[in-house]
Amino acid sequence: MKFTGTHKFTTPEGQEYSLLGIEMTQRYRHTVGFSDPFYQGIDQGLLRATRCSGCGASWFPPRRYCPEDQSETVWYDLSGTGRIVAATRVHIPPPFGGVKVPYVLASIRLDGVDGGITHRVLTEEPPESGSLVVARFDGADPDRPPLHPLLRLAFEIQETTK
Amino acid sequence: MTRFVGFRADAGIRDLVAEAARNALLDAGSSLSAIDLGVAAYESDHFNRQMSLGHVLAETVGLTGKPTVRVEGGGATGALAIQTAVTAIQAGSARAVLVFGGETNGRSVDRATATEILALSADFEWEMPLFGTFAAPYALMITEHMRRYGTTAEQFAEIAVKNRRIALHNPDAHKGMSITVGEVRGSAPLADPYRLFDASLLSDGAAAVLLATRDWAQAHSPTFRDRPPVAIAGTAAVTDHPRLSDRPEEMFPHFAAKRLAARQAYRMAGIDHPSEQIDLAEVYDSFSGAELQAYEDLGFCPVGEGGQAAGEGRFDLDGLIPVNTSGGLLGRGSAVGATGIAQAVEVVRQLRGEVEGERAVSDPRIGVTDTHAGVGALAVVNVFERLA
Repeated sequence: MKFTGTHKFTTPEGQEYSLLGIEMTQRYRHTVGFSDPFYQGIDQGLLRATRCSGCGASWFPPRRYCPEDQSETVWYDLSGTGRIVAATRVHIPPPFGGVKVPYVLASIRLDGVDGGITHRVLTEEPPESGSLVVARFDGADPDRPPLHPLLRLAFEIQETTK
Repeated sequence: MTRFVGFRADAGIRDLVAEAARNALLDAGSSLSAIDLGVAAYESDHFNRQMSLGHVLAETVGLTGKPTVRVEGGGATGALAIQTAVTAIQAGSARAVLVFGGETNGRSVDRATATEILALSADFEWEMPLFGTFAAPYALMITEHMRRYGTTAEQFAEIAVKNRRIALHNPDAHKGMSITVGEVRGSAPLADPYRLFDASLLSDGAAAVLLATRDWAQAHSPTFRDRPPVAIAGTAAVTDHPRLSDRPEEMFPHFAAKRLAARQAYRMAGIDHPSEQIDLAEVYDSFSGAELQAYEDLGFCPVGEGGQAAGEGRFDLDGLIPVNTSGGLLGRGSAVGATGIAQAVEVVRQLRGEVEGERAVSDPRIGVTDTHAGVGALAVVNVFERLA
C-alpha cells in the first residue's frame, strides 16, 4: 500500500475537502485447481470437459464432482466445435489485456457436452445465431508478453456447406 | 436514505450510512435502544476500503452491544438484507430490525478502476478474462431477445430516456437528464447494441429502513399511527447459473431466477394477476434493456412483449404500472449496497402518499421491488402492501 499525499478538493458549492491519495496493488498466485487439465489442454490444442463416472452426465466448465449424483468425474476431449447462441461486438478491452477492441464475444454451445462457454470469435461482424464455430489455439510464445491462457483460446467461424 | 450522487467529498461510507440510518429513525420517531438487530448491506471491500465493515457501520450507527449481520448478494444486496430482517422477525428472534446499506461506487476511484472492480463479479475463472464490462453479457441477452421477439434498440432506448426524465423530478436522484432516443443511440458504444446512455450510474449513497412487528411499532414509533401502515407482504430470493452460457437455451434472453422469485413472492402476497394488482414497481434497470426483460419476468406483460411495452411507454408514470418512479438505476443511480433499500424507501413513500408532483402514483396499494446480482445470478423480489 502507498500513501500518495493529501489533495484539496473543492465541491461545486465551493466547500473545500481533503482527499487522501491511496494506492493498493495485490499480487496473487491463483491456482486453477481441479481445472488444471483444461489449461494443459490449451497448450496441446485440445478442449477438455468432464463426464460423471456414475450417471454419465457431461459438464463444462469442468467439475470435480457431478452435481446430479456426487460421483467423481473423468476428463475427456471435445471436438472443439460449437454453435453460436448470441454474439456481440465489445468496445471495452478485457482486464488482462491481449485483446484489441472492438472484438466479437459470443455465447457458444459446445458439441459433445451439455454446456457452453462465453468466448471470442475471430471475425469482424457478430455472426448470426446458429453459426458454427471451431476452437483455435495460440501457442505460448516466450517472446510475447504473457497472455492469460483463456485468451490463447478463441473460436473461428466454420465454413459450412449445404 | 441519502441523496445518490457521483461523489460525496463531504461524506465517506460511514457518514453516508449514519445519515441514512438517522433519517430512518427520525421518520419512525424511534430510538435505537428498542432495536434488536442490525443488518448491514454492502457489496465490496474494494469500493469501501474496509474489511469487516458491517460491525464498523453498526458502531457508527450506534448499535454497539446488539447483534449485527452483514448481508451480500451482488446487485440484490439491499433487497436481500431486507429479506434477512423479515426472516429474523418471522422467526421471533427480533421485533425490530434496522437495515442499513451503502456503497461508495462513485468517483473515489476512477472509471477504469471501478470497471475493473465490477468485472470481478463476473466468474473470475471462466468469464472475467473475456470481458471487462458487464455490458457484454447484458448485450448477449438482449441480442437474443431482439432476434427472438423483434425487440429494437429504440425500444430499450425509450427506457433510458424515461428513467432519466423521471429522475429530474426526484431530489434524491444522482442525475436526471432530458435526452432523446437519438442521443442514447448516438452515445459511445459499450457492447453492441448497448451504448453509454443504456448503462446505469455508479453512485455514492446509503439507505436505511426500520422493520418491526405491529406491536413494536405501536409501542415504539410515535409516527406509526399517523400514517397508513405498510407491510412486507411477500419476499423471495432465487439463484440461477451465474454464467450465461450454462443456462438452458430457451431461457437465454430471460431472467429465470427473477421469474421464480416473482412467482414465489406474489404467492406469499396473494397476487394472482400481477399486471392488475400491482400499482407500482422499482425494477433493476442496470441496463435499459434489462428493464424490459423484467417487465416480462415479473409478469407485467406477456413474454416477448417487453420491447413493444417499452416503445409505447406502457410502464411510464401514467402507464399500467408506473415503473421506476425514482428514476431507477439509470437516473436515481446505484450505490450497490443501498440500491434495494432505496427502492423500498421509494415504494413505501409512494404507498404512504408522501411523493408529490408528477412522480406521485395515484392511491397505490401494492408496490414491488426487483433487484438482481450479475446478469440474474440471484434475484430478490420484495412485495410491499399498504394495509389501511
